[in-house]
Amino acid sequence: MTSNHTSVPSYMQGSTRRVGIMTDVHRRFLQLLMTHGVLEEWDVKRLQKHCYKVHDCNATVEKLEDFINNINSVLESLYIEIKKGVTEDDGRPIYALVNLATTSVSKMASDFAENELDLFRKALELIIDSETGFASSTNILNLVDQLKGKKMRKKEAEQVLQKFVQHKWLVEKEGEFTLHCRAILEMEQYIRETYPDAVKVCNICHSLLIQGQSCETCGIKMHLPCVAKYFQSNSEPRCPHCNDYWPHEIPEVFDPEKEREAGISKSNKKPLRSRQH
Amino acid sequence: MPRGQKSKLRAREKRRQALEESQDLGLQRTTSTTTNAATVSYTRSNDGASNEEGPRSSQDPTATEPLHRSPLDEKVFILVYYLLYKYQMKEPITKADMLRNVIQNYRNHFHEILKRASDHLELIFGLDTRELDPYKHIYVLINKLEPNCDGRVSDGSSLPKSGLLMLVLGVIFMKDNCATEEQMWEVLNMMGIFAGRRHYIYGEPRKLLTQDLVKENYLEYRQVPNSNPPRYEFLWGPRAHAETSKMRVLEFVAKIHNTVPSAFPTWYEEALQDEEERARARAAARARTAAMASARSRAMAGVRSRATASSSSHP
Repeated sequence: MTSNHTSVPSYMQGSTRRVGIMTDVHRRFLQLLMTHGVLEEWDVKRLQKHCYKVHDCNATVEKLEDFINNINSVLESLYIEIKKGVTEDDGRPIYALVNLATTSVSKMASDFAENELDLFRKALELIIDSETGFASSTNILNLVDQLKGKKMRKKEAEQVLQKFVQHKWLVEKEGEFTLHCRAILEMEQYIRETYPDAVKVCNICHSLLIQGQSCETCGIKMHLPCVAKYFQSNSEPRCPHCNDYWPHEIPEVFDPEKEREAGISKSNKKPLRSRQH
Repeated sequence: MPRGQKSKLRAREKRRQALEESQDLGLQRTTSTTTNAATVSYTRSNDGASNEEGPRSSQDPTATEPLHRSPLDEKVFILVYYLLYKYQMKEPITKADMLRNVIQNYRNHFHEILKRASDHLELIFGLDTRELDPYKHIYVLINKLEPNCDGRVSDGSSLPKSGLLMLVLGVIFMKDNCATEEQMWEVLNMMGIFAGRRHYIYGEPRKLLTQDLVKENYLEYRQVPNSNPPRYEFLWGPRAHAETSKMRVLEFVAKIHNTVPSAFPTWYEEALQDEEERARARAAARARTAAMASARSRAMAGVRSRATASSSSHP
């Protein structure tokens, strides 16, 4: 049996660029990626192989980057794309299906009420303004009186925050909240446009920065994985901007091979710290 | 001189409002490369958009490509993403939710918008939009892709997600339509699927079976009556009954064992009976629909003739 090849009809094409061919391999891939919300690169590669195995077992597995670009050329007409990013805390490459339309937070495909969205905005603002990229549960809940829409009690607000965690907008760590890596991928543009003064940007990759290290002299900031790469095997790390000694601990560059070996040996144990996916 | 906290917050609030208002219907699209954050934003020009909302989209001097999209097109895109999001959250989609959160002022175009969104989902994602409940207008997205490789399964990891569900339904069926948790894990362990061990397709199998598939109405997971300490059992959920049948599940199980359904005589009998009942139910439903349709058309004809009669008597 051959797999179902369909080229996207012209009325669905958004640009004059050549649009790729969608087969069941790509469709199943999209479904599974959508189901997980966000996936690490290693899982994405296994997912891709699985989709080939199930839907077109005789074809050669296309290189992941080309595979994804092919899909994105079709998704373009829907203002959606598979976006690649890196987790801020430990540098894992991740992929998520995101909505490219930079509409307001309320349009982020949600069933949230006005006061719930406002709670998210308040939490977001606290996170962006904070030094660490985390906002404490207490500080967020203290703002419930200022919310638009129906009055919300603190107890309710706690539940709503948990809903945000479920929807992968926020991550909770020891009573503090920060943005989920999925939310950063999806909302970066919106955040940069809405908070241009407060938003922090990494000195190395120039992307939005929520968590990172900062130079104590000149104030520039860098993502932890960017620090790791920039100062890799540098015994005397210095600030790229003011050349002052970089005072923080330099993290390790993320190595997928090492991760896999470690993962196999402790497959049944719970992870030591919660990860952003 | 740094601005005071209050004026900073006020400016921020004003800016956010202005941005949201201008984006009420005007989708601003950004394209970004994956390696760096260089973004180019295209602003939609308001070409011939005869819509009541009148989006006040800002004219971006750096825009190089005016994108010709009608407001209806935009609703379609928003709906596509909304449906995908619900699919991801494994929540059913109601017509009311769609109208309130997406369609809004375009209620009259609901079916057109939904149809176009469904077409995109089918073509690009291989997902079927099906009305699960025509009275309460609840929709679900169903994977319509059939695995077309040779159905032989060598180990548990090559089962697609729906395959795992078929297996689970098979276990339940063959344990007299009700399998205890112990019986379930005994079988799954033989296929290399273990509780607590994360699988790259299914995630954690225990959560999948006892929460996710229950939430999606494929399985029922309940306490064995009068069990102390509490033990649990699995049954088919209403959605499993709706979307598949005992015969299909038996066929699946037979394939795994490289045999045919009739090799399991008792279960085959039960599956055959189930098929007959379903055929009868389908025939009855068709008869009902036909009766309702003709009653409706008779009523409509009556209304029309009364309307023409009354309008002809008015000046």
